[in-house]
Amino acid sequence: MAKKQDIDARHYDVVLAPHITEKATLLSEHNAVVFKVAGDATKPQIREAVEAIFDTKVKKVNTVVQKGKVKRWKGKPYRRNDVKKAVVTLVEGANPIDVTSGI
Amino acid sequence: MQIKETTNTGLKRAYALTIPAAEIESKIDGEVKKIAPQVKMPGFRPGKVPGNLVRKMHGEQLHAQVLNETIRSSVDDLMKEKKLRPAMQPDISLDESYEQGKDAEVSVAMEILPEIEAPETDDLKIEKLTVPVTDEQVDEALERIAGQNKSYKDAPKTKKAAEGDQLIIDFVGRMDGEEFEGGKAEGAPLVIGSGQFIPGFEDQLTGVKAGDEKTIKVTFPDNYPAENLAGKEAEFDITVQSVKVEDETKVDDEFAKNLGLDDLQKLKDVLRAQLEQETAGLTRTQMKRSLLDQLAAGHDFDVPEGMVEAEFNQIWQQLQQEVAKSDDPEEAMKEIEAEKDDYRKIAVRRVRLGLLLSEIGQANNVQVSGQEMNMLIQQAAQQYRQEDRQRFMEYVRNDPMAAAQLRAPIYEDKVVDFLFDKAEVTEREVTREELEAAIEAEEETEAKPAAKKKAPAKKSAAKKTTSKADDKEATEKPAAKKAPAKKAAASKDSQKDAGETKPAAKKAPTKKAASKSAKADEPAKKEAAKKPAAKKTAAKKPASK
Repeated sequence: MAKKQDIDARHYDVVLAPHITEKATLLSEHNAVVFKVAGDATKPQIREAVEAIFDTKVKKVNTVVQKGKVKRWKGKPYRRNDVKKAVVTLVEGANPIDVTSGI
Repeated sequence: MQIKETTNTGLKRAYALTIPAAEIESKIDGEVKKIAPQVKMPGFRPGKVPGNLVRKMHGEQLHAQVLNETIRSSVDDLMKEKKLRPAMQPDISLDESYEQGKDAEVSVAMEILPEIEAPETDDLKIEKLTVPVTDEQVDEALERIAGQNKSYKDAPKTKKAAEGDQLIIDFVGRMDGEEFEGGKAEGAPLVIGSGQFIPGFEDQLTGVKAGDEKTIKVTFPDNYPAENLAGKEAEFDITVQSVKVEDETKVDDEFAKNLGLDDLQKLKDVLRAQLEQETAGLTRTQMKRSLLDQLAAGHDFDVPEGMVEAEFNQIWQQLQQEVAKSDDPEEAMKEIEAEKDDYRKIAVRRVRLGLLLSEIGQANNVQVSGQEMNMLIQQAAQQYRQEDRQRFMEYVRNDPMAAAQLRAPIYEDKVVDFLFDKAEVTEREVTREELEAAIEAEEETEAKPAAKKKAPAKKSAAKKTTSKADDKEATEKPAAKKAPAKKAAASKDSQKDAGETKPAAKKAPTKKAASKSAKADEPAKKEAAKKPAAKKTAAKKPASK
């Protein structure tokens, strides 16, 4: 766990939740973890937040914006919210992240 | 798993088991692997959830479950290893300081069954007292039926109604000039002197003739069931439709035909069969008792305290119920308090005999077949309402404890039968009184406390004999009454009826094992209770059958 003073509330605003799926668990083979992040978060922000919260070293951050599906309700189309996902690859030998421990 | 014996006194045993954490851990892993293919989780295809996630999600429950299982299996192992036969469910408790990841300390306390040598069953001698059914008894029973099937025939118009005559009347009841509910009837039959109606009603009708009209005044008794009427005065306007006199019932073929049987001989046969069945029941009780006495005399061993305690509590509860019903609860309570020790002795004896019988049964391979079990369940289900029967049967099927409870009496009976086969049985013909006296005597000599037990319940043993005899007669009546109602199948049914009352009564928990006096009391009571009910059905006979 990171030292308290390093973590700022803004870090939690950036990294919202771990994204736990089959595919995400497969990625852990490559030292990577997947998070849901804020829509307006940038890669440098994500790197900083993850390093602060999990006290680890990040090698790189890849992001995707998953567009919300268009659904219909009472015949009226609407869109679900977009989700930004960040695939964070850690430096080898760095502190591993246990996504299920829940922070 | 480590086992440490902590107590070993008499039949009591206590052990401390230590189950290492690693053992539990590995079992949890195994469990996780087993359930993983069935786990569903968002983000994963069904069954594709990785093991560590499953463990995170269900770890707690799995742990509890595994712990339980491990404890159970280790207790089983303990039994096997030490060759223990627990008398009752062992008392298992887990050390309070236990947490996941630590070694589990389990303490097990129980009582074991004593080692019983399968008793010798070859040299038992039993005297079988049989009671021949005499023609007089049959005739007597016949007369009783005849008496109950009185018929009435119209009397001449001028005949004045006297005691014993039947009136057909219309009546309208009024209270303060207003008609009240239930106070009106047309064509109601009333036998004068039968006491069917409220007191005074019948008296005032003595001497009326057919076609008479009369107004009478009566006072409802204070304890009349309808509260609004109790203790009030009322007027009845009565119109007598006809007066009928009792007709002699002749016991002949015609009479038998009226009862739905072919001829008089048939009717006699049916009655004889009923009487024989009854005495056979008595004979069996006597044989069983002497058998149990022999067994009890030949064996003496420690019995598990827990079982005695349970049995004693049962007796005690029953006594308390009886006490609560008696006229002077406090006095009766003192009486049974004083005899507490005796009751405890009965409990010990019952438990001992129970163990002995089951041991004999096991040694000789006596088993209760599935078919018998089914019959038993059916019979037990009869006690419940229609809707509940199915549920009850389900319950028994699914609950081994309940099934065992049902099975116990029949198992006991079978063992006793088995022993009868083995034993040397000498037959001797006695009269019914002698047989009853023999049962009575044994009760008093060998199971003194048992005989005493009757005292609070039934005041005195002597009184009991008479009441028992009365009740016996009572059973005959309803059974005989049912017979006519049932046309052709009458003979079979009535026999079955008579037969059923007995096993039903047998099931009563009090009758368990060697419950001497309870045995005699219980059926008597039941039968007595049955009497009014049976009468009712007989009255309704044309409608219901």
